Amino acid sequence: MKKVLVAGLALVLLVTMTTGLALADKVQITWWHAMSGPRLDVVNSIVAGFNASHPTIELKALYTGTYPETLTKFIAAYRSHNAPNIVQVYEVGTQTMLDSHAVTPVYQIPGMLGETWDWAQYVIPITHYYSTAGNLWSMPFNSSTAILYYNKDLFAKAGLDPNKPPTTWKEVEAYGQKLLASGVTKHVLSFGWPGWIFEQMFAYHNQLFANNNNGRTGLATQVLFNGAFGQMVLSTWTRLAKEGIFLYGGPEYSANQAFEAGQIAMLIQSTSSLAGIEQGSQFKVGTGFLPRFEGYPRGNSVIGGGSLWITKGQSKAQLEAVWEFLKYLAQTDVAVQWHKGTGYFPTVNSAVQELLTEGWFSKDQNYLTAFLQILSGRRDTPAATGVRLGPFVQIRELERTAIEQAVSGTMSPKAALDAAAQKANELLQQYKQVNG
Amino acid sequence: MQEERFPGHPFLPYLLILPSVAVIVIFLVVPFIQSARGSFFMTSAFGTRTIYVGLRNYIALFHSSYYLHSVLTTLIFAGFVIIIGLAISLAIGLLLNQKIRWQGFYQVALIWTYALSPAVAGTIWALMFAPATGIVPFVVARLFGGYVLNWMTDGQVALLVVSAAATWKMLGYNIIFFLAGLQNIPKELLEAARVDGAGPWRVFWKITFPMLSPTTTFLLFVNMLYAFFQVFGLIDIMTQGGPGNATNILVYKLYRDAFIYMNSGSADAQSVIIFIVIAAAAVVQLRVATRKAVYAR
Repeated sequence: MKKVLVAGLALVLLVTMTTGLALADKVQITWWHAMSGPRLDVVNSIVAGFNASHPTIELKALYTGTYPETLTKFIAAYRSHNAPNIVQVYEVGTQTMLDSHAVTPVYQIPGMLGETWDWAQYVIPITHYYSTAGNLWSMPFNSSTAILYYNKDLFAKAGLDPNKPPTTWKEVEAYGQKLLASGVTKHVLSFGWPGWIFEQMFAYHNQLFANNNNGRTGLATQVLFNGAFGQMVLSTWTRLAKEGIFLYGGPEYSANQAFEAGQIAMLIQSTSSLAGIEQGSQFKVGTGFLPRFEGYPRGNSVIGGGSLWITKGQSKAQLEAVWEFLKYLAQTDVAVQWHKGTGYFPTVNSAVQELLTEGWFSKDQNYLTAFLQILSGRRDTPAATGVRLGPFVQIRELERTAIEQAVSGTMSPKAALDAAAQKANELLQQYKQVNG
Repeated sequence: MQEERFPGHPFLPYLLILPSVAVIVIFLVVPFIQSARGSFFMTSAFGTRTIYVGLRNYIALFHSSYYLHSVLTTLIFAGFVIIIGLAISLAIGLLLNQKIRWQGFYQVALIWTYALSPAVAGTIWALMFAPATGIVPFVVARLFGGYVLNWMTDGQVALLVVSAAATWKMLGYNIIFFLAGLQNIPKELLEAARVDGAGPWRVFWKITFPMLSPTTTFLLFVNMLYAFFQVFGLIDIMTQGGPGNATNILVYKLYRDAFIYMNSGSADAQSVIIFIVIAAAAVVQLRVATRKAVYAR
């Protein structure tokens, strides 16, 4: 028994030593991310492809929990000088990362390595979102936006044209009344990520959400969402709720269930749900642009999801390896693979072109909707690019709370928004005090 | 003069308790001191900037309607879980303690909720109450003329559902202890009381309940800790504190402030307050328990 144990230990020692030797001439870099489920498989296959094509680099990708968990772990690791080389951070963490003094902005990396890089190859609305003063700070990775999903079968049953989704909120209401009257559903519409959809409405109609140009020319110190536009949006949603058309479906992805089960006919949700919804539904799924409010200017829908941040203070060899990986992600085939596997936008224009020529979109037009939406929107105003806030996670929850209070009738839309704005402004002041 | 337990080894007892003391110091005392210290500062997420703010974190908490609402929510939630939970558990315990057919089956069936992880329990309840697809809103709509029960928007319903789920989850644990307590009550006492002509109601209040008091006191304390701290997973899975903070109990709010909002100063202040409250409650309970509970037999 003892002999076996000793032999085993010796073997373990030998194996670790030889693998250690084998890895010694490789540059090792780590990447912490928050991609779980089917997305994890796509990440792992991209990493495997990268490692296979780059024999001098060993990239280790590690799933470190949800977005907030990953960020918390990154902060703890950075403070104890243990941080990974690359970390994926959700879009609401962008300002926190900008103020962290813990990252190397990606736009500086090619210069640091004596290279040049063509930043114009990336899809512009996406790079705009992560840029400050025209410079890209983090590498776009998993980007999505919100679109309208609808149940074509229910539309047909209610006597609506299944190929004509509503384009305005007025039409949403009219369609809703028709669907209810026909008795095919008890409720019509629900949202995922309610606070985010509220923000979408501002950018989509080119309305500022916070001061200092949406927090893009300086730290935002005041939110503007309780103004006339915000009140109009929330009053509309509250009216739809009273009519039985809008059914509040809870945070994040909890409303998908009702849509997939055919209990509601329309859903406003992130594009990242497209693959899941198509697989989970027994009916024909249609998609359309976000509904508009008539008489307001046009903006663009906002980018959500996450991006990759590069930790400051790496050795040149490591930074080179990191840069190789970022370049790898911009390869057409890799970007196409990422899009097909997850539904997230490919971040480079060449991949969009490749998808068009190979006929991917004509196989399933739903994958095209989000592209047309962000590419047809305007990209020259901070209002259309989307808001940037320090305590963004908290403020988005305040928005969600205000929506919940208004649509359930416990508070008037104005009172709910004012209360949320007051609290949000306090948080913004506090953030500025510590980070400004 | 006390007798020496380890003659010739005066330091041995200290050495033997050293591991437990070390664990307590490293995992409880040191973090607590750090929290207490942190509660006087405001810190940026990455700790790059720290500002001394004195008692401002505490003052801000007591002026925050969110915090006071969270205190109230916690009290309602804990009251429900402790009082209703223990009452139901005791009632079930009494029923299970009878000689009935399938006794073993019933015991297992009623106790197994404790073996569920909070994630599973939370998911079961969330699915049952899902606004458009759940069975409960469906039944409610059938019974009450199309009434829409939506716990995603109705805070009171949400608090009730979460409280019920938390109570249900703890039933198994409480029942085991009540059963054990009941089976330890000497049969002679009960029989003697019955011979003396006492009805079941009187037997319960005069004999069973007092004899159970050590168990009850213990369960009171455990359930209080459960309601204050351990329901975290259930809340996280079911409501994440929503809708509109309706289920945002203190420990959940603390977690969000610390780890989601990166607001460590305020979170530290909250943890110090919770610590003081729980410590005070523990002292009071132990005092009352040692005085009132009937341990002798």
